[in-house]
Amino acid sequence: MPITLEEVGAVVTIKRIAGNDEAKSHLADLGFVVGSTVTIINKLGESVILQVHESRVALSESMARRILI
Amino acid sequence: MTIKLALAGNPNSGKTTLFNGLTGNNQFVGNWPGVTVEKKDGKLKGHKDVIIQDLPGIYSLSPYTLEEVVARTYLIEDRPDAILNIVDGTNLERNLYLTTQLVELGIPVVVAVNMMDIIRKNGDKINTEELSRALGCKVVEISALKGTGIKEAAEEAINAAKNMKTVPQHTFSGPVEHAIAHIEEAIVHEMPEEQQRWYAIKVFERDSKVLKQLNISQEKLNHVEKDIQAAEKELDDDSESIITNERYNYIASIIKGCYKRKRTNNLSTSDKIDKVVTNRWLGLPIFVLVMYLVYWIAMVGVGTASTDWANDGLFGDGYHLFGMGSKAYEAASEEYGNATNAAMAYYDFDIEDEKFDAKTAISDMKKVQGPLKSTVGVTDEETLAVDKKNVYYDKIPDSAKKDENTIQMTYMEAVKYFEKNGFEEPDPANYGTWVPGVPPIVEAGLDKLHAADWLKGLILDGIVAGVGAVLGFVPQMLVLFLLLAFLEACGYMARIAFVLDRIFRKFGLSGKSFIPVLVGTGCGVPGVMACRTIENERDRRMTIMTTTFIPCGAKVPFIAMVAGAIFGGSPHIATSAYFLGMAAIIVSGVMLKKTKMFAGKPAPFVMELPPYHWPTVGNVLRSMWERGWSFIKKAGTIILLSTIFVWFTSFFGVVDGSFRMLAEDEINMSLLAKLGGLIAWIFAPLGWGNWQATVASITGLVAKENIVGTMGILYGGGDGGVYHSISQAFTHVTGYSFLAFNLLCAPCFAAIGAIKREMNSAKWTWFAIGYQCGFAYVIAFMITQFGNFFTGKGNIIGFAAAVIALVYMIYMLFIKKYSDANELGDDFAINARAEAK
Repeated sequence: MPITLEEVGAVVTIKRIAGNDEAKSHLADLGFVVGSTVTIINKLGESVILQVHESRVALSESMARRILI
Repeated sequence: MTIKLALAGNPNSGKTTLFNGLTGNNQFVGNWPGVTVEKKDGKLKGHKDVIIQDLPGIYSLSPYTLEEVVARTYLIEDRPDAILNIVDGTNLERNLYLTTQLVELGIPVVVAVNMMDIIRKNGDKINTEELSRALGCKVVEISALKGTGIKEAAEEAINAAKNMKTVPQHTFSGPVEHAIAHIEEAIVHEMPEEQQRWYAIKVFERDSKVLKQLNISQEKLNHVEKDIQAAEKELDDDSESIITNERYNYIASIIKGCYKRKRTNNLSTSDKIDKVVTNRWLGLPIFVLVMYLVYWIAMVGVGTASTDWANDGLFGDGYHLFGMGSKAYEAASEEYGNATNAAMAYYDFDIEDEKFDAKTAISDMKKVQGPLKSTVGVTDEETLAVDKKNVYYDKIPDSAKKDENTIQMTYMEAVKYFEKNGFEEPDPANYGTWVPGVPPIVEAGLDKLHAADWLKGLILDGIVAGVGAVLGFVPQMLVLFLLLAFLEACGYMARIAFVLDRIFRKFGLSGKSFIPVLVGTGCGVPGVMACRTIENERDRRMTIMTTTFIPCGAKVPFIAMVAGAIFGGSPHIATSAYFLGMAAIIVSGVMLKKTKMFAGKPAPFVMELPPYHWPTVGNVLRSMWERGWSFIKKAGTIILLSTIFVWFTSFFGVVDGSFRMLAEDEINMSLLAKLGGLIAWIFAPLGWGNWQATVASITGLVAKENIVGTMGILYGGGDGGVYHSISQAFTHVTGYSFLAFNLLCAPCFAAIGAIKREMNSAKWTWFAIGYQCGFAYVIAFMITQFGNFFTGKGNIIGFAAAVIALVYMIYMLFIKKYSDANELGDDFAINARAEAK
């Protein structure tokens, strides 16, 4: 399911990144690849703040929905 | 021989701090060619022949952001002698991802692991020897903030540049290596050996920019494509993802071997702050509070005082040192003003008249036996509005003692005042410690040299005034930049963008566009400069173009003049001006987003939120000074030249067949007036196609408050004062149209200079100015035509044209779909981004 549906505080593992374009590779550059452990720090509407490795990354809805867990 | 070192690293890895620590004051700030990305280089402290090139903060060498394109292009094409790669030790996984790509370039790399002090404090351990072995390059421990280890890091980089090679130690899985080997053999084997691997990997990833650069024959391409597809099939993923995943796997294996983490993940201070600051309910109110503080300090508290000092003091008549004597002078000046106004109510006199004689005037004044109450017209210096005020003959009744419309000095007191003090205006130089401004000093010097009038004019009204216009904004700008630099460095700016992005995204702007617009209500120049904090180039350009629509401080007197002269002082005019400005920003945002220049899907919001931390004083001050200085340098020339041009055309003209210099009130005979007459027809459809209004609009380009002064000269002289003449020349409709045009059209030269500085491209600067003027024209045109039509004075052709313009705008706003064309497609960087797909 998309990571946007998960609750704040949950620790999840990425199963798949939907789509196949430059945005996907940018997500990968930031550390969002299949197998990464991600913590959901906060949600603001559909936007989310995620922790991946040691960094916090804020993502808009359209981007966050592509991260499937 | 000079050695070129490139400083590369992730955003928020402490790169700027390290760069400042290494170069000190030997820095050169500019822009990368053709783009709005800042370029910095500097000489290494203590080494005259070592140049450090600071690259923008990047996450990888894949060309997603403009910064990544710029950095990659530099590394590939300019090939520095060595790369100093700064790595955030507290976030090794993500940071090493870039490192694994840098070591493949075939350029010697030295890794500087930053934040070692924090790592030690946390009780964590990094085995740098092991890390060095695993990466195939030298690893140095540093703390950029404390300055430890940075010299050693630089020395290692110099060393590496001279005699070391970096050989990447990581290998990809069998199928990938197999394909890469084939590519090396088929395509890149003629390249220098150390560069082969990087190019081969990029070909494997089908990096479109590299494919284009290498210009590979279709036959060879087909050949290697088979190998790539074979690897993809075997590993069940696309080639780019395979490489990405394998890099992360490799990094994970390195970290296992050399990083020992003691601390478990508990809630850090940053988390606690973020819980509040990015909270659904508290986020916006906190943001409003912070912005109010920034605005208040920059624009009201410190800003106004410093700008007034620079404009009216340093580049005006002069100022009282540290304000000593200011109060006494103000009191004296007010008393003089009151006395003059009170006396004027009963006895008309003009001290500048040659026939004026103080003694006769006093004795004449004493003879006046007036009514108990009279009135006098007091002219406001800023807006030229004339207010009727009451004056009492010998006693102010208690009921009028606090009345604002009563001069708090009686006629009899005024006569006594003049008898005692004479008619001379109080001289500020007689109070406290008076420091004369630049113009009086220069003027005195020129008088001594017996300079010709035209030369005096050129130097004083052209050059000194022009320089003043540039420097006058600097103090306020520095204060603002200081605050913005702090907000950026401490990490809050990234949160602002996140909180506001959802709202601004709808108008085609970024979450950070709010700040330039807010600052723009004070002054458009720092407003435009504040666009620097917006990451996305398209959003940045859009914000630069629309920020000056909001009425700035200098437009306020002009708005007040129009409201006072044409609309009977209605307060709704000022309010409507701000709404007009905001509407113009929103409408333009939506419309421009649908044009080819800004086409493309709005970039999804992805942004790292760095941990909160206290920035160092040095970094904040440096950032402030860099921006201020770059404004002076880059915007200064254009402002100066334009000011001189307008000065020349407004003070020279042909009078009675001979070309000569004009006095201030002869502007109607100037070249500018002629020019205004020539182009006034352009504004005829707007209902104010006369040369006076045209000339006023042109002088408004020097500084918007000049419109008031010019209107004062051009419409003065008639019966009933300036306001009366203006109200005769404009109807409500054309008056508002004139207001709207001047609010929305090209800003003053200083702001245009700032736009040019920020756009870093002549084409975009002209596009911005052209759009602003065009938009202003269309809006003013619609106001005039619709206004005239509904007041029964319309003309059918104009009305029809206005309807067409309105329908087109509505079409652009609501019906036209966002264009799906890939990207801007107008410079190399953007092209590269599109090609990378």
